[in-house]
Amino acid sequence: MSTEGIRDRAPGFHEATVTFRSIVEEQPGDRLKDLFDVAWPAYRRWFLRDGELARPSYARCLRALRTYVPELVPVYEKLVGTVGGGDLEARFLSLWEPTPFFSACSIAAVPGADRGIVRNYDYVPALCETTLLASQLAGRRTLAMSDCLWGVLDGVNEDGLAVALAFGGRRVVGRGFAITLLLRYLLEMCATVEQAIEAARIVPVNLAYNVVVADAEGDAAFLQIAPDHEPVLSRDVLFAGNRQGKTEWAEHAVMTETVAREEAIAAALVSGPGREELERAFLSEPIYRPHLRHTWGTVYTASYSCRDRTVRLLWPDESWELSLAAPYEEERTRRMVMTMPPVLERTFEPPHTPDVIFA
Amino acid sequence: MRRLQTPIYFVSPTPYNILGLDQWVGPFEYISYFDSFDSHHPHVFVPSHEAQPEFASFEAVNTYLLSHKEVTDRIHARGGGKALFVMFEEETEELAGELGLEIALPPRELREHIDSKITTTHLANEAGIESAPNVLSRAGSYKELLQLAKKGKLGTDLVVQTPYGDSGRTTFFISDEVGWNEHVEKFVGEDLKIMRRIEHLPGTLEACATRHGTLVGPIQTDITGFEELTPYRGGWCGNDIFPNVFTEAIRKRIRTMARKLGDTLYANGYRGVFCLDFLVENDTGEVYLGEINPRISGASPLTNLITSKYGGVPLFLFHLLEFLDVDWELDLKRVQKRWEEYDEWSQLVLKQTEDVVELITQAPPSGLWRMGDDGRVEHLSPVTTWHTVGHDDEAFYLRVYGNGDYRYKGADLGVIVSRGRMQTDDRRLTDRARRWADGITSLFAGVPPEQAPVVPEPLYTKWF
Repeated sequence: MSTEGIRDRAPGFHEATVTFRSIVEEQPGDRLKDLFDVAWPAYRRWFLRDGELARPSYARCLRALRTYVPELVPVYEKLVGTVGGGDLEARFLSLWEPTPFFSACSIAAVPGADRGIVRNYDYVPALCETTLLASQLAGRRTLAMSDCLWGVLDGVNEDGLAVALAFGGRRVVGRGFAITLLLRYLLEMCATVEQAIEAARIVPVNLAYNVVVADAEGDAAFLQIAPDHEPVLSRDVLFAGNRQGKTEWAEHAVMTETVAREEAIAAALVSGPGREELERAFLSEPIYRPHLRHTWGTVYTASYSCRDRTVRLLWPDESWELSLAAPYEEERTRRMVMTMPPVLERTFEPPHTPDVIFA
Repeated sequence: MRRLQTPIYFVSPTPYNILGLDQWVGPFEYISYFDSFDSHHPHVFVPSHEAQPEFASFEAVNTYLLSHKEVTDRIHARGGGKALFVMFEEETEELAGELGLEIALPPRELREHIDSKITTTHLANEAGIESAPNVLSRAGSYKELLQLAKKGKLGTDLVVQTPYGDSGRTTFFISDEVGWNEHVEKFVGEDLKIMRRIEHLPGTLEACATRHGTLVGPIQTDITGFEELTPYRGGWCGNDIFPNVFTEAIRKRIRTMARKLGDTLYANGYRGVFCLDFLVENDTGEVYLGEINPRISGASPLTNLITSKYGGVPLFLFHLLEFLDVDWELDLKRVQKRWEEYDEWSQLVLKQTEDVVELITQAPPSGLWRMGDDGRVEHLSPVTTWHTVGHDDEAFYLRVYGNGDYRYKGADLGVIVSRGRMQTDDRRLTDRARRWADGITSLFAGVPPEQAPVVPEPLYTKWF
């Protein structure tokens, strides 16, 4: 990952260097391979966290891709080949029924005809790729903050469709893809909010997530996605924290202070702010969460313009704008103070294969 | 067979059941989970995997193998073919289909149907074969059980079997109410086969049902329940195979039973090999049908060893002929005659008997071994089949778990195939058997499994 040596640190505060980078690679190649090689050891541990058999087999993953997102299969296979073609890698990259993980985040559509999305990505910095990927994987050019190499946390495509996600604050786990694959699919396959809504109805997602989409025609929508119901659509309320309606998971809500953030976003939207004004709100507490006080602090703020197909990565003291029309590669490092969560001891169970091997 | 173009895959945790068949059949490959041969075997492919994940069943291992990318890439590269399994489930079938593999076995539903001990008894009746005196029924209580037994004149010293599953786990000896109560939840609501307990010698053989009749492999005796070899009471530990087993008359009865059964199975749509377990009653020499295993089985290794070494051709080839879409002729009597004379051979299945869990740090390799006079065994050569066992002091060992795997009570530590017998006529384990079992198992070494490695967890456990 981008954060040096953070993995072995004891719980508590640590200062670390986090590298944000932009990568330009149209099709899977050396750049993505290099990124994968660095990230894989940690991803592999996460993938195997609950045991190899807890994750679906390669055959199942491929079947799911072919069933729900067939247009992505060619680039998926190319990506798998690029990183070495192994069984675990292929299963991991399919993003089908991944090891569940929960995060936080705030998202909002910029009001008015000149649409955009502003979002805070809140998580443990050590576990973020902090990579902006400019590519053309399945036909459309896209610019997106990535996760698991080709999954999307937030992004925009050449038609001006912008997307962003925030965890939905429910513990339900079901059969489906990681939300980041759905967002990748939306950017690759959709030009408008209408198309994105249709696609979201078809592609199953394993966890509860809030998604905001906005397009260059001025349309915007907020979708509550979950494995146990059809996407719930709103065209009036166009922002979210980490709840889908009432608080369901009290501990999580308290830890992430989602209610305070939601109220702050709502307040900021009352006056019909422009993009810059909304950005300022997102860079201020409580929407902005400093790492010194929160385990899941704000790693970055991203502000997308649908009309311009641009993204502004923002921190309280820095701003970095990139455009889909002219992407370039650069690295920026930031010193971040972060809190490591407490360690967990897991009980060990030696595996038992069935008693009958000779039969 | 050597000129065959279609790739044939034996997909199974180990190549055990039909090891050595690759010498006879053209593009034959074993796709295994355990790397018994440490990459030496030229026709064994083991996909890379994390050490020993926990499988729910034998079938699940095969499903895992056919779902693995390295296996599917390999099969796709060679363009389909035929698949063989010991056991397979619906998902394995689907995967085989997706890979363009035709399963060279009878249909799954038919196998499952025949696998039921209740169906077996009906089939036996159809074939005109004696099953051990029995009543097929349901019993809600011990009292009901006794009533049923009384009706069938079975007495009170009973053996009760539930329909599905390995005999070792589904056979219960019930001579009083305590015995019934001990396992009552397994009986109530199930179709039961209730039998009179008879003093008997158990045996087994493999036969092959074909369009030209049923070929019967050589008769084997069962080696079961020895505490040196298995922690399970009545657990199968191996077989002896020798020409003068039982008496000539009994052997004839057994073969006739096998033939009748095979022909009946064929008439019911079953083709290919099956394993027949039988009981020879001590006092009377009566031969009763025990169980049918409608599949490749633990009887296959010695059957194919004897029929190829002494008869010129392994029985399993005839199974393949049934599934190869070719016309073939057979002089059944002539082939059978070639399988009448052979030497003594045996196989021993080694299971861990101690209740101890260890991470294996050292394990004996598969291959040819020799035992010295002092009982110590030495590894002679990493051969990949048991056909090369020459002297009486030699044996072939097939390993399952190796370095980095875990062993625990009941774990299969491997199989030993050697000349000579491992069990005496009065069903005691020979000293030789004990020494081989000891010699090999003593070469395993391990350490206690580590306690949980401390992991920086990004999320608190309480979130789940």
